[in-house]
Amino acid sequence: MKARIEPWGAWVRSEDARALVALDHEASRALGIEGGRLWETPSTGARPPVEVHLAVTARCHAGCSDCYLDARPDGVVPEQGTLIRALDAMKEEGVFTVAFGGGEPITRPDLDALAEAARERGILPVLTTSGFGLSPSVASRLRSFAQVNVSFDGVGANYTEVRGFDGTHVAERAITRLVDEGIRVGVNVVLTRVTLSALKETVARALELGAVEVQLLRYKPEGRAASLDYLTKRLSSEQVETFPTLLRELVSEFPNASFRVDCALVPFLSSDTALTTTMLTRFGIFGCEAGESLAAVRIDGKVAPCSFAEPTTLSGEALSSGYGADPVLSRWRAAKADPAEPCASCHLRSVCKGGCKIVSRFIDREHGPDPECPRVRHYRL
Amino acid sequence: MLSETNAKTIEKKALVQHGILRMRQGHGANCSSIGSVIDLLFATAAVGGAVFAAISATLCEEPAEVVVAKSDQTDSVSEKNE
Repeated sequence: MKARIEPWGAWVRSEDARALVALDHEASRALGIEGGRLWETPSTGARPPVEVHLAVTARCHAGCSDCYLDARPDGVVPEQGTLIRALDAMKEEGVFTVAFGGGEPITRPDLDALAEAARERGILPVLTTSGFGLSPSVASRLRSFAQVNVSFDGVGANYTEVRGFDGTHVAERAITRLVDEGIRVGVNVVLTRVTLSALKETVARALELGAVEVQLLRYKPEGRAASLDYLTKRLSSEQVETFPTLLRELVSEFPNASFRVDCALVPFLSSDTALTTTMLTRFGIFGCEAGESLAAVRIDGKVAPCSFAEPTTLSGEALSSGYGADPVLSRWRAAKADPAEPCASCHLRSVCKGGCKIVSRFIDREHGPDPECPRVRHYRL
Repeated sequence: MLSETNAKTIEKKALVQHGILRMRQGHGANCSSIGSVIDLLFATAAVGGAVFAAISATLCEEPAEVVVAKSDQTDSVSEKNE
């Protein structure tokens, strides 16, 4: 069990319990954790991230039409030493989880060594893959990962809707091979107008193949997806309004699965008046944590608020010396701390943090409230 | 009658459970945006309470390796956890 001291107590991660828990001072002390000066004179500055998304390659042969990184077969591959030094910096800051992504991470022959390097530093490694190139021997080298998520947006036409080709069989084979290796498998499902309507079928198929978790991802206009097509692929306003109802149905109809929403989907919960900030906080829902609990280390080695955002000048190797003071990260934090209406008066503000800035920048050309949030849309009518 | 050891264990679990500010379930393996498990959001209070109790019990059984972020490090924090 790993604990990181925080001004309010400690973050504690138990791999056995598969949970990251924020404890207050008293509970921390009950576990023998003492905060010293950080508890006595708490700083009000930015906290280090709990999770870092590390791009380990820009190489990918899949050629998905909506890749946010614009990964290519001849993409850049960072040297192992650079990534190890980034992991060293994460260790220094007490980061709990590192999510390896790309590009297609399994094109790296040293991926297992990188996962081991993360574990040696007390950081839990997880992985996202398209499944392309995931042979049985590759699958056997992924056992160090606490979980592997396979991109699985649906079957047949639904897969094609997001990626531009039908790779259903590749994703399904990858899920099966990982499950056969005893690896915990989740699926990433990108939600578009088309894939959402077939979501229950997609979930049922993923579970049938042995996946245990379904990560729902909002479609984002970045990389190759930053085009006018975004406007026809994004969820309709009706789908957004009924999204909480759909979540309730999923949880009820698939009791053996676990469901996740990504940070960008949190504003869509604002249409459900039964969900309070207290509930969302207590059950650990994270909205836009870019530059706060979440950081990304891009393919060029630079830290960014999240994988979709612009880079800072801060190197991933210098995470501990510059994360709090970096001007780009500070601007992101300041915008979330003092949002415009209707976010300023929203009851979910402290959790949602204004929704997805990647979307607001694309649609409104400004770093402001998420224009697809139901509350924002009603406010602007 | 409860032994003193058992009573202390129960008290410790209660303190931990009471002091949970937020709990993020699962490991989450997406590399592009941070995800949160929503299962308990729609569960009954009893189910939520049972999960919190189970996690508290697990935390009480595991030794803690305490980390102080380098950007926070002061002698007093490090020494108290040695």
